[in-house]
Amino acid sequence: MNRDYAKYALRRVLQAVVVILLAYMFTFVVISVLPGDPVTNTLRNPQNGFTEEEITRIVAYYGLDRPVYVQLWSSLSRFVVGDLGVSLRSGLPVTRQVGEVLGSTVVLALSALGVALVLAFGTAFGAQYLPRRVGRLLRAFPSLFLSMPNFVIGLVLINVFAFQLGLFQVIDSEGGLATFFAAVALGIPVSARVTEVLIANLDHEAGEEYASVARSRGLGRTRLFLRHLLKPSSLPVVTVIALTVGELLGGAVITEQIFGRTGIGSLVERSVTTQDLPVLQAIVTLAAIVFVVVNLVADLVYPLLDPRVRLGGTTSAARPEPRDLAEVVAP
Amino acid sequence: MAPQDRLTLDRVETPAATPDLLRVEGLSVAYGDNQVVTDVGFGLRRGESLALIGESGSGKSTIARAVLRLLPRGLGRATGRVEFDGHDVLSLSERRFRPLRGRRIGFVPQDPGNSLNPVRTIGAQAREAAALLGELNPAERKDLILETFAQVGLDDPRRVHDSYPHQLSGGMLQRVLIGLTVLPRPALIVADEPTSALDVTIQKRILDLLSRLRQDLDISLLLITHDLAIAAERADSLVVLKDGVVQEAGATAVVFSAPTSEYARKLHGDVPALNPDRYRHLRDRVRESGPPKIEVSGVTKTFTVEGRALTAVDDVSFVVEPGTTHALVGESGSGKTTTIRLLLGLEEPDSGSIKVAGEEVTGRSHASLRSIRRHLQLVYQNPFTSLDPKWTVKRLVGESLDRFGVGTRQERAERVRAALDSVGLGAHLLSRRPAALSGGQRQRVALARSLVLRPDVIVLDEPTSALDVSVQAGIVEVLLSLQAELGLTYVFVSHDLALVRQLAHTVSVVHRGRVVEGGPVATVFDNPRQPYTRALVESIPAPRPTVANGAS
Repeated sequence: MNRDYAKYALRRVLQAVVVILLAYMFTFVVISVLPGDPVTNTLRNPQNGFTEEEITRIVAYYGLDRPVYVQLWSSLSRFVVGDLGVSLRSGLPVTRQVGEVLGSTVVLALSALGVALVLAFGTAFGAQYLPRRVGRLLRAFPSLFLSMPNFVIGLVLINVFAFQLGLFQVIDSEGGLATFFAAVALGIPVSARVTEVLIANLDHEAGEEYASVARSRGLGRTRLFLRHLLKPSSLPVVTVIALTVGELLGGAVITEQIFGRTGIGSLVERSVTTQDLPVLQAIVTLAAIVFVVVNLVADLVYPLLDPRVRLGGTTSAARPEPRDLAEVVAP
Repeated sequence: MAPQDRLTLDRVETPAATPDLLRVEGLSVAYGDNQVVTDVGFGLRRGESLALIGESGSGKSTIARAVLRLLPRGLGRATGRVEFDGHDVLSLSERRFRPLRGRRIGFVPQDPGNSLNPVRTIGAQAREAAALLGELNPAERKDLILETFAQVGLDDPRRVHDSYPHQLSGGMLQRVLIGLTVLPRPALIVADEPTSALDVTIQKRILDLLSRLRQDLDISLLLITHDLAIAAERADSLVVLKDGVVQEAGATAVVFSAPTSEYARKLHGDVPALNPDRYRHLRDRVRESGPPKIEVSGVTKTFTVEGRALTAVDDVSFVVEPGTTHALVGESGSGKTTTIRLLLGLEEPDSGSIKVAGEEVTGRSHASLRSIRRHLQLVYQNPFTSLDPKWTVKRLVGESLDRFGVGTRQERAERVRAALDSVGLGAHLLSRRPAALSGGQRQRVALARSLVLRPDVIVLDEPTSALDVSVQAGIVEVLLSLQAELGLTYVFVSHDLALVRQLAHTVSVVHRGRVVEGGPVATVFDNPRQPYTRALVESIPAPRPTVANGAS
């Protein structure tokens, strides 16, 4: 088992590295074939006052006159050692610029994930174990949450808690409570999907024979939930979380705008409007890395959580698919 | 150490009024508007055993769940009176009843394969049962668990303790579950078909284990089973159920030797173990003579499983005379299924030869295999999965006629009707779909489907193992009449030796891919030479012959 796991893990890590490199190359090619040449546009801006000769020299200095594949190769070899180039706008290294704002976004995304998980597990437990009427009401939550965009939730939260109740200052956007409410706005739609899967799996597991056999051993309902049903029902949640990272990242861009936070979101907005290509390239690559790493972690963790998973094959571990969402609807 | 001593609380509460440990009176259970148990009553005395016998839908499992109060929440509604050791089970609150569950009433489930949490170790789940005993410390609990595992016949208790359920065999899991049940020293065990998911030899060992524990620990047993032979072998008294109503009840010896109700008599007649010669008149008709229909010689098949070679079929040979039935007998994993897959040309053997009606099956092209298949048909084990649910009976049975382009449309329709008729189904079923048929009707449709091409050989892969005994009896009768009438040759795969004895002429006993013993059924069964065959034969339940065996 352990040697199998080591082999499996190594294979998955190598695959992940290849995917990241491919993502970097793909982004580079797409950006380079886009119409418009921001570099020469900027240089030719009359305000900068470069002569045609100087422009040619600068372009040659940065190697921008060479064929795309040569540029790709040099860019890639710099990427591998962690050099993402220099921002066209500020002249600062891209790594530093991204690094400055990354922390804030990571804090927001992780808090949002935390909020989503707490909400999801609470709702799922309630749907199973509170009186039927309340449980049925709770089962409606996921579809409600899913249909509310995070910017609507964000605006409502700001209006109620910042303007009406004065609980946090919109200006102090990095404060604790402000971060909390931003995380709530971002976390609620994400929680919907986790809740759906969790409720469906809990219903399924509760109907399994081992659950009634465990009850026949004298277990109470709370213990049955905590000791028996929770773990097998939570396993597919690992898959769902891995899939919702994109939602978290995309949502973070919007949420940061609404709550006035500096983060990857504001950096994206700035670099898109100013065509700051090295920064864009870095952010797209970063998103790819986050995606790949999160899924890698899910793949690596899963066999440790579920003893039945058999390692083998070339693709990811045989994680069971989350139960069909249609099953959730039936009360 | 006597764990009961820790349960003094319960004892104080217990009024010693009734002699019965468990007393059920006027019990009715309904799922919504659907009444499944009606006015059932019986009593079980301390230290004795009682069997509830019935076929699927008889409500026997529902009664077990009502006694344990494990009916599905909000769906099942039980009325009447269930009294356990002086407690009125049905009227107690869940909070008051829970101390009884597990501690005083244990439960052994039907399918050990899905009765343990798959993502927790056996040890973690055993500790729950041990925790019911109260203030033991963790080390004592573990000792008690390992001791109990040894007591239920698990060879390596420590390994079992650290394993996950999927790492153990069905028989071992059932021992674990029995261990978990007896660990708190309950007064009553409810066992719901504890062996129906297990192989025959393991079935006997598990039943022996239950009997032994019952005696050693003075536990009463409520045994739920569909098998009259098992019930008669293991229980002091019997309750025969049909459609949720008691047909007959009383001491085993009385009900068994002189059944008064019509249903009990019919059940008695349908159980193969009790009637080895029931079909003798059909079986022993004069057969066709001629060269052997099937000749399997020296066939070997090896699979590669996780890098290791596994010989599923190892130098297997047997011969089947025309118009006879040859049984392949063995437990799961013995290579029976691979053998018939080779016979049908679904797999290629590594070596050896298989001849059907003198023609070699192996090494053929797909097209020439097709022509052989016309004469070689298969009936699958489970009629609930082998029929396309969207097709009508007419299309299901007629498909192969259409494929082979036999006759005109009218002739084909005629042959479909004739095939249905020969298995005892009326033409009114032609437009039905499988969902509207009972299990027995489905298997008859499957049989008609294989008959419609008028084959010489039919391979029957455990054709009745998913069916009730009374339904099984009907199918067996059809099979034997057809054989007598049409001179069909059967290859009959089964793990049920009593059934094999009823209908087969010759038998091959398969064990780990090899034929360990073969020959005429009577010879092999009456004088088994190999220990494995002997174990199989001994696993046929033998009802107690005399009255007053433990029933005082």
